[in-house]
Amino acid sequence: MSLYKKSRYENIVFIVLILICFIFIGGRFFVTINCIKHFIYYIAYPNLSAADNILKFSGNFANNIESLISLHQDNISYKQKNQELIDKLRNYELITHEYESLLKLFKLDKVDNTKSVYARIVVREPSLWYQSFIIDKGSDDGLYNELPVAVFNKTKNALYAMGTIVETYKNSSKVALITNSESILPVEIKNKGINCLVEGFDSCLVKVTYIPLNVDVKPGDELVVSNLSSIFNYGIPVGVIRGIVQEPYMDFQTATAEVFFDMVSSNIAIVLVPSEQKQ
Amino acid sequence: MRKLILYFLIYIFFCLIQFFFSQYLNSFRIFPNFILVCVVCIGFIKGSFNAQLVGFLFGLTWDIFSTDVFATRALLFTILGYLSGKLNRKFDIINTFFQCVIVFLANIVYDLGLYLINCIIIQDFKDTLTFKNISNIFTTTIVTPFVFYVLRRVLKGI
Repeated sequence: MSLYKKSRYENIVFIVLILICFIFIGGRFFVTINCIKHFIYYIAYPNLSAADNILKFSGNFANNIESLISLHQDNISYKQKNQELIDKLRNYELITHEYESLLKLFKLDKVDNTKSVYARIVVREPSLWYQSFIIDKGSDDGLYNELPVAVFNKTKNALYAMGTIVETYKNSSKVALITNSESILPVEIKNKGINCLVEGFDSCLVKVTYIPLNVDVKPGDELVVSNLSSIFNYGIPVGVIRGIVQEPYMDFQTATAEVFFDMVSSNIAIVLVPSEQKQ
Repeated sequence: MRKLILYFLIYIFFCLIQFFFSQYLNSFRIFPNFILVCVVCIGFIKGSFNAQLVGFLFGLTWDIFSTDVFATRALLFTILGYLSGKLNRKFDIINTFFQCVIVFLANIVYDLGLYLINCIIIQDFKDTLTFKNISNIFTTTIVTPFVFYVLRRVLKGI
C-alpha cells in the first residue's frame, strides 16, 4: 500500500545529500570544520573531553584566536597608557604655562637644562688608570675645559660623577678623574648635610677630608656632590664611605671612600654641558 | 504548510525521545533507535524524497550531539530513508512482521555502516560491535510496530 506520489527529484536530491554528507565527512580532515563541530558539541554538552577536542583540533586556528585576543588586550592597555600620557602631558603643559606666567610676573630669567654629550672613551693608559682618559668629543662638539663628566649606571639607573675636562682639542678631550691625586671635589654626606672634600690619590679609593669631629659618620654613608661645587650639579652621587680615621690631635676626621663609577666597564662618558644662556 | 509543521513536530518529538529521554529511560545504556524506525517508516509511507530529507536532518542533528565522525549518521539515515522509500511498492507496510524484519535489517545496516566508517576514518578506532548493539537492534525491532502505527495515523492526512 502506497500513500504517496513518487517525486521526480528524489534521485537527484539523494545524490546531492550523499555528496553533502561526504563533504562533511571529508571536513574531518579540515581543522576549522572539526573545531566548529566540537565547539557546537561543547555548547550542547559542556565537558572536559569536548573542550580538549576543541583545543586538539583547533591548532593554528586557536593560536590565531589567542593572538587576536592578546592583541586586543594589548590594544586596551596601550589605550589606557596613552590616556595616562595624554593626561600627564596636559598637566605638564599647565605647569609650563604657570611657570612661564610666574617668570613674567617676577621678571626672572628662565633656567635651562643641561645638555648631555655622549662621548666614547678612546684612550685609557694603564699607568694613568685612575688619573685620566681621552674621549672622542672635543671643541667641535661644543666641549670646553672644566666641564663635568659623568657616567651612567644602567643597573642603578643613576648618573655618577666621574671627572672634569682638563684639556680640549678639536675632536678629543682629556678628562681628569675624581680619583686623580690633583682632583678635589666638594661633597656632602647624604641625608646628613655635612660638607667635606673628596681628594683622589690615584687609586679606586678616594680620601674624604675635612669631616668635623663631632659628627656621626659611618661606613656605608653615601657621598653626593655638594652645593659648593662650581662644576657639578648638586646631588650627583660620588661614592660610599668605607672607613673612618680619627686622630686625636687633628681638628677633622678623615675617611676613605669607594667611588661609584667603575673604570673597568665604563666605555661611554657623559659630558654635562650647560646651555648657552647659562654659559 | 501543514505538512511542514507536522514534519517539524515529528522531528522535535523524535529528537526529544532519542536525545533527551534516552538519558533517563535507558537500561544498561540500551535504548531503541526511534529515529531509525521513524526514517524507515516515513520512507514506506511517504517515499524516498521525504524519508531521505528527514533522515538527513535527523542524522545531522545526531552527529552534532555525538563525538563520532561528523555526517556519518546523516549519510546512513539518508541511504536508509532512500532505500526504504524504494522498497515501499514491493512490500505491504501494514504487515507487522514485515515491518519488524525491515527495521531489523535496517538496524544491522546502520550499525555495520557506522562501525565501518569509523574504522576507515578513525585510525585508532578500537570499539567493536558488542552485546549492546545487538540488544539495541532487538529493542528497536520490538518498538517498531508501535512507531509505525502512530506515524501511519499521523501522516495519513497529509
